[in-house]
Amino acid sequence: MSDVPQNAGYMMAAYVVTAVILVAYAVSLYRRANKP
Amino acid sequence: MSLTQKGRWITLVALVSLAAVYVRALAFTPLERLQGPAQKIFYLHVPAAIWTEAAMILVGLAGIFYLFLKDSRLDRFAAASAEVGAVFATIVLTTGPIWGKPIWGTWWTWDARLTSTLLLFFLYVGYLLVRGAVRDPDLRARYAAVLGICGMCLVPFIHMSVYLFRTLHPQPIILKPSAPSLPSSMLVTWLFSLATFTLLYVGFVTQRYALSLQPDAHGEGSPGHV
Repeated sequence: MSDVPQNAGYMMAAYVVTAVILVAYAVSLYRRANKP
Repeated sequence: MSLTQKGRWITLVALVSLAAVYVRALAFTPLERLQGPAQKIFYLHVPAAIWTEAAMILVGLAGIFYLFLKDSRLDRFAAASAEVGAVFATIVLTTGPIWGKPIWGTWWTWDARLTSTLLLFFLYVGYLLVRGAVRDPDLRARYAAVLGICGMCLVPFIHMSVYLFRTLHPQPIILKPSAPSLPSSMLVTWLFSLATFTLLYVGFVTQRYALSLQPDAHGEGSPGHV
């Protein structure tokens, strides 16, 4: 296992960015629908 | 149950499913030996890319039918699909470079696949800008339909670009004529993620479509103005 590249930080960054984009868009749709 | 509520429920289920994809991908899917943990970006990047392209195909098809039928529902659907496609394109264009840096040694290269995907993103942005800029609903729908058809024509080129040009981008390992080149454990995770992104697309488009039915949803005064 020692020769497996140590790049978990990039993986975590991609997963966090994806979650942020999707949740932000879901919240944006919710807020736009409830706009007075 | 209203269309908005249906969209919200579908989105909620999709977000819970996304959390399950994260758990499965990060904890229960084996590491790829050559690329290491960064390979797991593939489980988000590829489904998002598929729906980025599929959303534009649906925008183009809706545009073609709109030009013949003049049905405003098609125009509203196209607007919803384009906005969601732009969100997925943003995911593709952020997760791709994050994968590229550890694997290629660079965030970005101007090869055919990356450049054409960036062009698709700009088409999405242009499409949404045109919709915001043109006040007349009929004119706006026609301009948007033509732009959507142009975007749809770009999609086969993006998919084939890795065959037509020498590119740094990997060849397809799932969407290809022969069997997928993935172990079954990885394939199941990827299929789970694809199903989740499909659900996200449906939930988002349903909500966005319902939004376009609301009077004054964008300060333009009447239903159908998106």
